[in-house]
Amino acid sequence: MMLLLALVVPLAGAALCWAFGPVLRSTAGWLATVAVAISFVLVLLTGSGHAALFSWMPGFDFGLMLDRLSLLWALIITGVGFLIHLYSIGYMDGDRAFARFFAYMNFFIFAMLLLVLSDNWIGLLVGWGLVGLASYFLIGFWFERRSAVAAAQKAFVINVVGDVGMMFAIFLIVANVHSISFSDAFSAASSFSPALLYAICFALFIGAAAKSAQVPLQTWLPDAMEGPTPVSALIHAATMVTAGVYLVARCAPLWDQSPSAQMLVGTIGALTAVSAAILGAVQWDIKRILAYSTMSQIGYMIMGVGIGAYAGGIAHFFTHAFFKAQLFLASGLIIHALRNEQDVRLMGGLAKRMPLAFWATLTGVLAISGIPGFSGFFSKDQIIAGALAHGHPWMYAVGIATAGITAYYMFRLLFITFLGEYRGNVDPAQLGIKREVQSSVAQEPEHHRAPAWVMGLPVAVLIAPTIAVGWLLFGSSRAPSPWSRFFAEQFSPGLTSAPAIPESLTTIITFCVVLLGIAIAALRYATQPARTNAVARLRAETERMPKVLVNAYYVDALIDLVFVKTARFLGALFGRVVDPHVVDAAVRESAASAQGLGSLVRELQSGLVRAYAFVIAIGVGCFLIYYLVSGVGH
Amino acid sequence: MLALVIVLLPLVAGALLFLVPRDDARLSKSVGALVAATLVVLAFIERSQSWTWRWLTHPFIANIHFGPTYLSYWLVVLLTLCTFGAVLSTNVSRTRSMVAALLLLEGTMAGLFLARDLLVFALFWDAMLLPVFFALLSWGENPATAWRFFIYNFAGGLLLLLAVAAFGALTGTTDVIGNPAYHGIVSPWAPWILAGFAVAFLVKTPVWPLHTWMPPTYEATPAPMVAVVSAVQSKAGLYGFLAIALALFPSYFSAEVPVLVILAVISLLYGAFIALVQQNVKLIVAYSSLSHLGLILLAIASLDPIALRGALVYIVAHGLFSATLFIVLGYVEEREATRSLAHLGGLGWTNPRLTGAFCVAALAALGLPGLAGFAGELVILIGVYQGGYAWAVILALVAIVTAAAYMLRLLQGATQGPVRTDIPMRRDLTWLEGAAVAPLLFALLYFGVYPNALLGLHP
Repeated sequence: MMLLLALVVPLAGAALCWAFGPVLRSTAGWLATVAVAISFVLVLLTGSGHAALFSWMPGFDFGLMLDRLSLLWALIITGVGFLIHLYSIGYMDGDRAFARFFAYMNFFIFAMLLLVLSDNWIGLLVGWGLVGLASYFLIGFWFERRSAVAAAQKAFVINVVGDVGMMFAIFLIVANVHSISFSDAFSAASSFSPALLYAICFALFIGAAAKSAQVPLQTWLPDAMEGPTPVSALIHAATMVTAGVYLVARCAPLWDQSPSAQMLVGTIGALTAVSAAILGAVQWDIKRILAYSTMSQIGYMIMGVGIGAYAGGIAHFFTHAFFKAQLFLASGLIIHALRNEQDVRLMGGLAKRMPLAFWATLTGVLAISGIPGFSGFFSKDQIIAGALAHGHPWMYAVGIATAGITAYYMFRLLFITFLGEYRGNVDPAQLGIKREVQSSVAQEPEHHRAPAWVMGLPVAVLIAPTIAVGWLLFGSSRAPSPWSRFFAEQFSPGLTSAPAIPESLTTIITFCVVLLGIAIAALRYATQPARTNAVARLRAETERMPKVLVNAYYVDALIDLVFVKTARFLGALFGRVVDPHVVDAAVRESAASAQGLGSLVRELQSGLVRAYAFVIAIGVGCFLIYYLVSGVGH
Repeated sequence: MLALVIVLLPLVAGALLFLVPRDDARLSKSVGALVAATLVVLAFIERSQSWTWRWLTHPFIANIHFGPTYLSYWLVVLLTLCTFGAVLSTNVSRTRSMVAALLLLEGTMAGLFLARDLLVFALFWDAMLLPVFFALLSWGENPATAWRFFIYNFAGGLLLLLAVAAFGALTGTTDVIGNPAYHGIVSPWAPWILAGFAVAFLVKTPVWPLHTWMPPTYEATPAPMVAVVSAVQSKAGLYGFLAIALALFPSYFSAEVPVLVILAVISLLYGAFIALVQQNVKLIVAYSSLSHLGLILLAIASLDPIALRGALVYIVAHGLFSATLFIVLGYVEEREATRSLAHLGGLGWTNPRLTGAFCVAALAALGLPGLAGFAGELVILIGVYQGGYAWAVILALVAIVTAAAYMLRLLQGATQGPVRTDIPMRRDLTWLEGAAVAPLLFALLYFGVYPNALLGLHP
């Protein structure tokens, strides 16, 4: 019952903010924030449990479930969600749709909780679709900007592709087990044929890939940065985009029995990790850098859960939720202070001006780069070592290489943004920035009512877990870490072999590669000459950027050509050619030859048909009267 | 007796409305709304009572027999809800005539759905064309559209009538709809009779390639009426398939299934792709209807019991969201004086309540989980998959993705983007306008969360 309440409170918050927004005004933000806090406490107090609720359809029962896996997600959703709500009170201050923003945010919390708390496929799918809706609303929150509208549409449609994949998986499952509950499907999984299992996993993974921005369904995530920064932090970094990781971990009993499905997921994860990291190294928009890094880090997680290293994969979700939220919120501090400037070329020298943003970004960068001692180090290390232990040496190699690239682009971000001189007054053209007509920036905050601490506090609070939570993963085979003990009953350990390279050596290799990445970044952006010549150097880098990377491997263009253009062409063909000139013409012709209706239609156009229709009507009338009279007569 | 009241009350009220001497919009709308609201209540409480009166004994037995079956119960509820919304939303010239036409339409369609006798069914089948035809002539711009609608549907109606007569002559009675004692006709003529029924149903629904009357009709019919026509009249054909073709010709119907599956899938994709490129907002919804109704026909043709359940849910869901969409588009047109997507935009800032209603209806239409459209789609496709049409399911999923694209294009095109400054001040929904769509939106949400409510009465 408390579980249901944890779900309903944010929904009620959303409804209140939505319905009474104009009345509530700035109170809406506090209301929504408190709703998330209540939800957090309720989840924490519940701890674990199961609640059967109602029958969705005959034979399809809907209920909620809180086990270790959903507990972890629910706590992150509501915990990090609470901090980001608090931050948003400051960030969104003065926005003319302030209350609506919080309505969407609370709705997101509700939908995401539904996703992770459902004990059945349909609840999962409903949550899955509703988080997509919340994401759509929030990406397109400033919907007078055409770019935001287009980004929202793209995100939604690609996510529907994922939903449809999950629907197909559900058809396969329901046709075989005649039930929608997870437990029935998982216990029946051992009796499925390998082909069926692979098909189910494949279809489910379409959903996971779309939601978690994995290749080839990744293109919506960078565009999703059109949304306000707290949205990027909450939805497009910490929680929603990790739903794919949750899905694979939740369906571990299915994946465990299908090595080919594990291979597929692991491969896609590794591919995404490295390809997104490379793109992260060529971005100039601070939020897009973070978006590609999110994609890449989720690639790690997907790789981890894909190959069966579940504890490592979800550990990376756990640490990533903190440090990536941290990074986004810190970037939000900058964007907010610089009046919506997001291009790092126009930043520079911010370390002195914005110490909190600097220290927050620094800890976040250290964590994501995997510097020993910081949270990201422990979880990333587990995945990389897990890849080898589960027998995937090339994923191991990709994992190490990606760690180096990650360190490079994150330190690049740090150096360009915070070191050197402030370049906000430089003419953008000198930096090689080609600006289209400045899209009218949504709204300048009109007046600040919110206290300053609401933005600072969450950033400061997040520094602690960004540094520390990784130690929960610290353990050895003799003394297992608290983390692995917590998840011991959730996941079977799977088949692991003693790796060819001992874990300690792996750690050292990875760290060396990371240091190499940092060194390159330092040479390019942090040395004295680089800092003094920053403008010229950034301009040169901008101009020499490889086209294929600037265009993100042309995946967008390809999707546009193969799917969007084809669909429009078919629509135009059917609508302008087939419908009027083939179907309608054929109907007229056959009508003409069969019943003389064609002449009727032609007459119709000359305006003489009324008589014909009248004749028909009279004919039918006579027919009816005959029956009526003869019937009554007898 | 209640069934008879549901049929006669709107017919009488509609006819009496013409007695309102001058075109008193307020009075006629109030009377119409009162009658429509009464009918909503009656439709909900009407469960199983039926009313019968011997009509013909020669050449076959026919009764004036009204009473709800499980399926028609929900269709009548849907009809009354949609008509109530349509009457409240009416804001056209000659309001009195429109309200009267809506009530006449309601009465004739209630007669159709509640008829337990094929001959009565066939009579109402033709009668329900007349209010629409009349509206097309009165409010439409091109009389050719009205005639095209009428001739097309009337041709179908004639076939239906012939089929009913042949059915009666063969079996001796036409009082067979929803009659559990009646197990279907066996005769060499049966396939031909069934074909007559089927063609009429396919035209009415409509299904590709017999749909070409529909887009121009939907475009030309005033918003309140097209809301009812697309929501409920289009279901007459599907109801016919379920209550007549499937129930009375079980063995012959399964022989026709392959053709129906193919036509359904073509409609499903064809409508979806055309909706993707239309500029006219009403035509987008019209073609999306072609697509959605194709999905319901697919469910019926798959003959799977789960798919049939889904068909019922989706029949109601489609009725709710298409009625809402057309009513909302009517509101938009009143304000913007255009139906072209190219000239719309930015309503979200100026008309937030209107946008909210639009948004819920469009999301239901694209199958958003949690709204009724999703429940119907999902259950239909689960059933169709079990029925052995995996390929049709995959094509349907393509159509679902397409639906997301065209519905968002419609919704965003009208409500988002920069506010258009070339149009003067626009007011948001009045509470009366909101009240017209509120029950429909509530039902979309309710049946989406708890579709079992629609199936709970299932025998």
